[in-house]
Amino acid sequence: MRPLDWVVLTGSLATIVAYGLYRGRGSNTVDRYLLAGKSMPWYAMALSIMATQASAITFISTTGQSYVDGMRFVQFYFGLPLAMVILSATAVPIFHRAKVYTAYEYLENRFDAKTRALASFIFLMQRGLSVGLTFYAPAIVLSVIFGWPDHVTTLIMGVTVVIYTVTGGIRTVTWTDVQQMMIIMFGLVVALIMIFVLLPREVSILDAIHLAGAAGKLNAVTFKFDWNDRYNLWSGLIGGMFLALSYFGCDQSQVQRYLTGKSIAQSKLSLLFPAVAKIPMQFFILFIGAMVFVFYIFTPAPMVFQRAEYSRIQQPQWRQQYDPIAARYQTAIEQRKAAAMAIVDARHRHDAQAEAEAVTRYRGAQKGVDAARMEGARLVSSAGGEKGFRDTNYIFLSFVTKYLPAGVVGLVIAVILAATMSSSSGEINSLATVSVVDIYKRHFRKQASDRHYLTASRVATAFWGAYAVAFSGFGKHLGSLIEAVNIVGSLFYGSLLGVFVLAFFFRRVNGTGAFVGMLAGEAAIFAAFIFTNISFLWFNVIGCVVVITTALAVELLSPQLAPH
Amino acid sequence: MPDEPPPFLGTWPRIYAAVIIYLVLLIAVCYLFTRAFS
Repeated sequence: MRPLDWVVLTGSLATIVAYGLYRGRGSNTVDRYLLAGKSMPWYAMALSIMATQASAITFISTTGQSYVDGMRFVQFYFGLPLAMVILSATAVPIFHRAKVYTAYEYLENRFDAKTRALASFIFLMQRGLSVGLTFYAPAIVLSVIFGWPDHVTTLIMGVTVVIYTVTGGIRTVTWTDVQQMMIIMFGLVVALIMIFVLLPREVSILDAIHLAGAAGKLNAVTFKFDWNDRYNLWSGLIGGMFLALSYFGCDQSQVQRYLTGKSIAQSKLSLLFPAVAKIPMQFFILFIGAMVFVFYIFTPAPMVFQRAEYSRIQQPQWRQQYDPIAARYQTAIEQRKAAAMAIVDARHRHDAQAEAEAVTRYRGAQKGVDAARMEGARLVSSAGGEKGFRDTNYIFLSFVTKYLPAGVVGLVIAVILAATMSSSSGEINSLATVSVVDIYKRHFRKQASDRHYLTASRVATAFWGAYAVAFSGFGKHLGSLIEAVNIVGSLFYGSLLGVFVLAFFFRRVNGTGAFVGMLAGEAAIFAAFIFTNISFLWFNVIGCVVVITTALAVELLSPQLAPH
Repeated sequence: MPDEPPPFLGTWPRIYAAVIIYLVLLIAVCYLFTRAFS
């Protein structure tokens, strides 16, 4: 980080916080503090929804994912527009008309207090566990890249987020999200332009796209259904839709965004904007990763992108295993570069046969590169590194810090921190809302002044911020962070989705059925998690189905309890 | 709270249909992109 990077970084973050505090002034009642007085325009809510969903790990990991595995991850988002349409037609008008602060408050209107309490508890468990990881994920990557102590990075981000979230409530959270989203998009566009600028002069943008495609990095759609293939059109449409329904329909960190809308129409539009914009945005981020791949065809790439682990396997005691792998890797990347130049040359001469021959050599060399990188990763694990080590999260930031000019590095780091802050502020704000509205106000202090609940909301916000920072260090013990975040979510989302499906579509099911169904759903999910090897992506479906079937069974077995 | 009409296309079902058609077109574009460059 050079002085200009620090200027850009601190300037960006200070602008975000100052603007957010300015927009959040006047949040002096509970309604304004938690729901912005239901005054937010659709575009602010829409950008806030997108910013809250896009955490730092999205930008760090997605680009690396594309570098390693191509663009097929984009299919994971194909179910999102379907979910947004369903939620706009169902959840948004229901929540608005119920005049609730939280999604779980609606469950008491529809079922009873115990169902609301259980859903609130499940949300607090799930979001409370993952909010620490939101801070920890970028902190650990920045720690490895720059040597910044992870607890210091976490503390700085945490204190900043807590200051503006406690002060201005959801209005500040939403407007800072808008700023953060704009910085994120600007930073990514600048990064892509810089990649194109850094390509060799004889390699055009179209050549770069062809080279990425020839290496299988532009595999955006796979129609073939395969249970073992996590990303194909069908898993994206079905699994992705269930996940998006759970996240945007049952998770207070998202529901609270669109509850702040001026009207039902504004809230619907705030959900439909991400339905339109999310896939192109993810496509763009993955495309950046594919172009980083092309950049590293012409510029020597390290065999392992995580510097500390790379140094570890270069130690004398590992040299005997390391040297032959490194030699194979070196040969393969030289062959790949020569074949890539031959492809470019053949394309410029419009020589189809020469291009086809060069593509065959290029793909062969790429297999050699991949094999050597895999052997290198295995050696890292053998040498005492993380089991199942992958360097995906380090590829993009390694490129940024090594090759981008002063100022742009600061901008990209600002993007990472902005993404962390936008996600965590939304999470902390929603945790505080559920703690105060669904637990404190409902069960401990039913009649108090508005000022009392406003103070309680601020205290709860500060508590959850401190909790997130304090427990972020547990991320160290959870292995792959992106997987940990997804597993934590999948352990709880299925039963939450199930109870809201019951609430919206099964009018005859009563509170006892819903409550027992949720308990059964959670039991089924944890049983699947502990006793089977079923992928966590299916936990949402399992939980949802078990909640619904159990509730219907309870309804059938105890007809005298049903409301008639 | 009454449900207002959307600012364009007249009714919400038309908006929802437009989003789904857009999704189909996006998938088609992604498929053509894959075919063109792989």
